[in-house]
Amino acid sequence: MDILLTEDQRLLQDSTRRFLEKRSPVSAARRLVSSQAALDREAWREGAELGWLSLFAPEAYGGLAESAEGAVDAAIIAEELGRVVFAGPFLPVSVVAFALAEAGSPAQQEAHLAELAAGEKIAAWCFPAEAEAGAVTTQPAEGGFVLEGSVFAVQDAELADLLLVTAADGRELSQFLVSKDTPGISVTPLVTLDIARRLAEVRFDGVRIGADALVGVAEGAADLVERQLQLALVLQAAETVGVIDRALEFTLDYAKQRVAFGRAIGSFQAIKHRFADHAVRLEGAKAATAYAAKAVQARAADAGAAASIAKSHTARHGVDIIRDCLQIHGGIGMTWDHDIHFYLRRAVSNEALWGTPAAHHDRLSRLAGL
Amino acid sequence: MSQHAAEAQDTPEQHAFRLRARTYMAEHLPPRLAEEAPWVWDRPELVLKDRRIQKLLFDGGLAGLTVPVVYGGQGLDPSYEAIFLQEALPYRLAWALGNSFNVVLPTLLKHASEGLKRRYVPRLLSGEDLWCQLLSEPSGGSDLAGLITRATRTEGGWLLNGSKVWTTGGHFADMAICLARTDPEAPKHAGLTLFLVNMHAPGMTVRPLRLIEGSEDFCQEFLDDVFVAEDHVVGEVNGGWTVAKTAMANEHAAMGRGWHAGYRSGETTNELAPPEDLLDLAKGRPGDAHVRQLFGEAWVLDAVQLLTTRRIETGIRAGVLPAQSGHISKVMSAKAGARRTAIVSELAGVHGIAARPREEGLSAGMNRVIRHAIGGGTTEMSGNTIGERLLGLPPEPLPDRNIPFSQLAKNAAPKRGG
Repeated sequence: MDILLTEDQRLLQDSTRRFLEKRSPVSAARRLVSSQAALDREAWREGAELGWLSLFAPEAYGGLAESAEGAVDAAIIAEELGRVVFAGPFLPVSVVAFALAEAGSPAQQEAHLAELAAGEKIAAWCFPAEAEAGAVTTQPAEGGFVLEGSVFAVQDAELADLLLVTAADGRELSQFLVSKDTPGISVTPLVTLDIARRLAEVRFDGVRIGADALVGVAEGAADLVERQLQLALVLQAAETVGVIDRALEFTLDYAKQRVAFGRAIGSFQAIKHRFADHAVRLEGAKAATAYAAKAVQARAADAGAAASIAKSHTARHGVDIIRDCLQIHGGIGMTWDHDIHFYLRRAVSNEALWGTPAAHHDRLSRLAGL
Repeated sequence: MSQHAAEAQDTPEQHAFRLRARTYMAEHLPPRLAEEAPWVWDRPELVLKDRRIQKLLFDGGLAGLTVPVVYGGQGLDPSYEAIFLQEALPYRLAWALGNSFNVVLPTLLKHASEGLKRRYVPRLLSGEDLWCQLLSEPSGGSDLAGLITRATRTEGGWLLNGSKVWTTGGHFADMAICLARTDPEAPKHAGLTLFLVNMHAPGMTVRPLRLIEGSEDFCQEFLDDVFVAEDHVVGEVNGGWTVAKTAMANEHAAMGRGWHAGYRSGETTNELAPPEDLLDLAKGRPGDAHVRQLFGEAWVLDAVQLLTTRRIETGIRAGVLPAQSGHISKVMSAKAGARRTAIVSELAGVHGIAARPREEGLSAGMNRVIRHAIGGGTTEMSGNTIGERLLGLPPEPLPDRNIPFSQLAKNAAPKRGG
């Protein structure tokens, strides 16, 4: 995260790290995978007690929005979650809480924000995986709307009680908050490369919803959706930073201990210079992500560009660095029992979700007026 | 932090200083102009201008803010430097004196005798002496401790013989710190001494080096029996490596936090503007997917480099990052810079390599030729420093470390028929 943290931010970082090392290390993700369980609910609620999910909800709903620096603080937590390849729905719950706090109706806020903050309710953010809104369509219907279509690769949709759906009516975007058990909604779990992350396909077959499901203004959600995407990209980039940071740490330890030809392998320039290069790129990832978090939090004019820049850099170099960390481990890195594949799976998954680096390069061209 | 936010946190003493600096600079300093870059060595008039600026700052009590009063400084704590830089944003500063202030000043303050400090530091602070560093030699740059310029004893001092190279601004300098070999029978690091050398002394020849694109930023010097008085040794005789390490550490720290103090500035949000030069090149083909990829990639490169450099600067200034972190900015600049030349050349196509007479057109392609990562230490040396000093990896084996310098393979007399 940012090179200079406030006292509060350092506390948040330390308490999150200590909690995760104790309650949810990589071995916990491993256990979830082998038991095919979805989430350690108890650990999730304890995380909520630490304030993870309260950053965007106002105090009236048990949140900390007034005193927290939403996107910046959430990015600090996301980075820590990345270090242990955490399996839970931090990102979607944060983005949906952010959306509701910003544009939800009083009834929606009243009904959901406190329970989201307490970790008792889970929400999924149904945003098209390719970062282009509009895979779900909406038509006005008597007393509300009808949703049709599907969204591929929605994080933690199986766990969710609520879905925040972005739908297009012609060219305009609207957003709806719907209960997952609404008739016509089906959630199909997908087989995921990142085995510590659950993704699902969510289908909407003639789903009829009331007008009270609308978040913000009908056909006027484009700016809301953009800001949610920015926050999602910042949290994803921060998570990737944590993933790289930790993988590089244990790979460095290994290179200092593993001896070949009478020397620690980290003393060979063929290895040492690669580590130096990785450290440089990791520093860039931290700098770009910290800036993007602040820009998104401040609603700066360059927040959209900053989020895409952080995404492109962290995704591209994150995968590259961790692939090389695996290489430096040699044969042991190819085994199921070594943790590094969890890190690499998460990095590769984050690279593809919500726009590949190339998609964001195109987006940057658009933002520059090309 | 914005200037207003910073100002609100001033103590009464800091605020008085701020107002004094503001008033004085408004009355005396020339404005900061975009066409007057901090890189001055091709423009003698800017070197002169910078020396005048430094004299004005000195006369106004705004030079050497953290330097003790006995050496001509102001004896203030580092917070005043930050205030000064905030207030100096509208004005040109004496950037030609980068070597003097970034490298030589801290080295003198740490290692020079009381007499040398009292004699030279005030002249440095007033811009009267412009300093350079005589370190690298034609026979070796990265392996600095392998240098062969000799200093031999003579009555009242030393005679220096040899050649130095890659001296930034050597042709404008009055004084130099110079590392020379005083004991060839000692192992290479243990036989070096650091001298203060007058660049106008008899026997000193300074020749600008013409670089690929024609610029003359660096010099080569030839030292032919250059006399240096006994009391112009800094640190111990044969203890020069310790002093040189201070100089190099300060050089790298300065590169990390920004060589031209105060040149970079700005708010912390909303400043990632798209790169104008590439936008111009891409505008002709906005629908070309390949062009859009290259443009987006270049924007990422530029932005990440800017933000990383600032992160490192902030971290070093605040003391949360070690000074060697400057190597991170340096390596990133080298790698991003190299990739950027490829993108620019790709976008410019044939217009990067040929231009009609009187057209400015070759700068796009020229960067592909001249952009390298050698000056101020190669990327390879930075790789070692990052790996060993920042990441804690084991050091390189140094087979020549404990052998007398005169017996090292490269210094031994060539074998017949060998």
